[in-house]
Amino acid sequence: MKLSLLARACCSSMSPVSLRKYSQNQVSQHRRPMISSQIKPQIPLFLRPPIYSLTFSDLQKWQNWAKTLASSVGSSFQDFDHGPDSTLLRRELNWLMEDAIEDYSTTSRPGGCESRQKVKVRVDLEELYGLWKQRIEERRPFQYLVGCEHWRDLVLSVQEGVLIPRPETEMIVDLVCELVVENDWFKQGLWADLGTGSGALAIAIGRVLGDYGRVIATDLSPVSAMVASYNVQRYELQDKVVIKQGSWFEPLKNVEGQLVGLVSNPPYIPSDHICGLQAEVSKHEPRLALDGGLNGLDDLVHLCYRASSMLLCVGSLSSATTITNGEEQCQFLVNYMKSDLGGNFCYVKIVSDFAGIPRFVTDSPRAENHNTVKDGALKTIDHFLTLL
Amino acid sequence: MKMFSQSSLLFHFRQSLRHTIRNVATFSKLNTKYVFIGAGHNVTAERVNEFPSCFSPTLKWLSGSSQGLAHSIQCRLLGSQAAIEPSASDGLTVEGIIANRWTILDETEGDWKSHAAAIAQSIQLIKRRLQWKQLLVRVELLSAELDKPDIWDDPVHAGKVSREHGSLMGKLKEESMKSLARMRRDSKEKELRALLAGEQDSCSCFIEVQAGAGGTESMDWAKMVMQMYKMWAQQRGYGVTVVDEMPGEIAGIKRATIKVEGEYAFGYAKAEVGVHRLVRISPFDSGKRRHTSFAAVAVIPILGDGASHVQINESDLRIERFRAGGAGGQHVNTTESAVRIVHIPTGITATCQNERSQHQNRASAMAVLQSRLNQLEMARQAQMNAEHTKSLTEISWGNQIRTYVLHPYRMVKDLRTNYEVSDPDSVLEGDLDGFILSYLSASLDQVGYGS
Repeated sequence: MKLSLLARACCSSMSPVSLRKYSQNQVSQHRRPMISSQIKPQIPLFLRPPIYSLTFSDLQKWQNWAKTLASSVGSSFQDFDHGPDSTLLRRELNWLMEDAIEDYSTTSRPGGCESRQKVKVRVDLEELYGLWKQRIEERRPFQYLVGCEHWRDLVLSVQEGVLIPRPETEMIVDLVCELVVENDWFKQGLWADLGTGSGALAIAIGRVLGDYGRVIATDLSPVSAMVASYNVQRYELQDKVVIKQGSWFEPLKNVEGQLVGLVSNPPYIPSDHICGLQAEVSKHEPRLALDGGLNGLDDLVHLCYRASSMLLCVGSLSSATTITNGEEQCQFLVNYMKSDLGGNFCYVKIVSDFAGIPRFVTDSPRAENHNTVKDGALKTIDHFLTLL
Repeated sequence: MKMFSQSSLLFHFRQSLRHTIRNVATFSKLNTKYVFIGAGHNVTAERVNEFPSCFSPTLKWLSGSSQGLAHSIQCRLLGSQAAIEPSASDGLTVEGIIANRWTILDETEGDWKSHAAAIAQSIQLIKRRLQWKQLLVRVELLSAELDKPDIWDDPVHAGKVSREHGSLMGKLKEESMKSLARMRRDSKEKELRALLAGEQDSCSCFIEVQAGAGGTESMDWAKMVMQMYKMWAQQRGYGVTVVDEMPGEIAGIKRATIKVEGEYAFGYAKAEVGVHRLVRISPFDSGKRRHTSFAAVAVIPILGDGASHVQINESDLRIERFRAGGAGGQHVNTTESAVRIVHIPTGITATCQNERSQHQNRASAMAVLQSRLNQLEMARQAQMNAEHTKSLTEISWGNQIRTYVLHPYRMVKDLRTNYEVSDPDSVLEGDLDGFILSYLSASLDQVGYGS
């Protein structure tokens, strides 16, 4: 579940011009490493140098062993805790090979290699056996095995301690894109991604923003902050995306009231549900990123409550999107935002994910209101210029 | 200046090529008398097999040539045929073309006379450089010598004769045969390019295979067929990616879609559209009975950017995540992000699950959907045209096009062209070009050369 609170675009004390200056300052300020330099990000498997060499027949032997192991799972994980079935595991095995073998396309082609031919790989044979054992016996998530997750058109580095970005979260970027494409206000403004994890949302949004658009992403976990920074570097977005370590809005104090948009994927699973989740999640992923308190709403409510003060404008031109646990939380948040925080959120609606589950609560200006936003934005600039 | 259509040019090409083949045939006559068993000859016969249809009269003689007695008679017939200089309907011959002394312009020039003259010249040149006629006479002489029953009484002399004979044979075979074969292949390739002149022929394509009724055996067959195309495409140097694959419960696939990327992928692969039939003893039948199963193949062109695409309205689409169970989101860690897109007005769907992110599965599924809708539109337009010309043969979907028999005998036969080979394994390993080329040539022959 994610929370993405987009934009307010009126009655601001700051124009995009000053904002621009501001965010650039922010960027240079925080290029200094704020994250303890002792922990180092793990290099994803596919980026490691192919320094090991093994014979094709050894590789085949390993592959057959791994295939058999995957097949032996059948649907037992699925029946037990909705874990992966053997079809999925076999596909993961192919992807593991794709990442581990330097010239995978030749190796995977029937008759592409002779049995004594040497194959260059990025981990040694022992580790290959070890990795697949971890996958099957310990249910270690595939993404931690290969150290990356393919998400949208990105390949993001992930490791233990960092939540693996979910396919559902991709849609938040689509929602942001809708706003950004049609509206310069959002395209050139300052965005925040709270609880960024691997940096997925921040990076994807950073890539669709205009020259002056910026993203500040925060995460309480030092490992996440470090991995997110590494991912930002890999996509060469240091000038656009800043990662800060800290809880929710805490590192954003000096940009209060200046954000045009806010996105987040906060923990939303009720505490006592966590141990019943599939082993990949409950045993391996960071509880910090999953546990949303007694009813899973602790952080969501906090974020919604604080969002209104953080965003640039409140009132009819504001925009906000939250991702949730499902229908119940969606409904709760809609009511909460409409009644308790009434007046701040005007276009609250629920959007479903591709599986049909009500997933996002969004408060963004509809397309038909975009002109109003534009007018509002212009008025703000006018107002600011008059003040000057 | 007289205008020649493309097909007329093609005809001249064919004529000159036929002439080359005759040369080969003349040679094989000599060859068979003495050293017919030579492996090289068999290879040649097989080679000829690869280039069917337009050479079919010649071809029959040649392929028949590996069968003992009947063979020499046929060759003699051939020999006498060769005496009549082949000519085009307008009386042009290789010799005639040369005698015309047409200026040979740059290769890039679009002047058929230049091309025809250049080819004729090459043929003449090869013959002259090899001193073809003398060579043939000499070989015949040496062969006659070798045929003498008492030749080995003088081992030194016999060795000499046999060595020279061998070297000349090598020259004939290596130099002339190979260069002629190469030339033929090149021309054939060009001829094919002319065949692949359809609007979509140069496109990349999707190949889809669907198992027919019959459970695991036919799903296994569908998988074999898909494997055959993967290997064929790889051997041709095309990029192959699996877009969608629905595995069978026990073995094989229910259906699958692959994307084949490269020049003329659609032009070639379209020859495979239809139903493929397998006869074998099923490994899934404990009673070891013979089974017949079917797999349907569809091929969809991926139109380039320039082509007119069917406009798709976002609002007409329903995007679903399938095989997603449970609460999703943070609850679930899965690498499965399969996406199905439904085009609501037509009910056409496309799925993709083999990409590593949902975003990319969606993009791939969208590409498949776009191509399917384009194809539907093309079919609709073709049908509209057909009402006027009433010549649209039934859409090949329901048609059986090829039979693969693994038991009780071994054979693959194309029911459209009658092209057949006796080695199903090589075909199933992707050696499909013979089938494809014969079909493409045959479909051109149906249209006719006349302009």
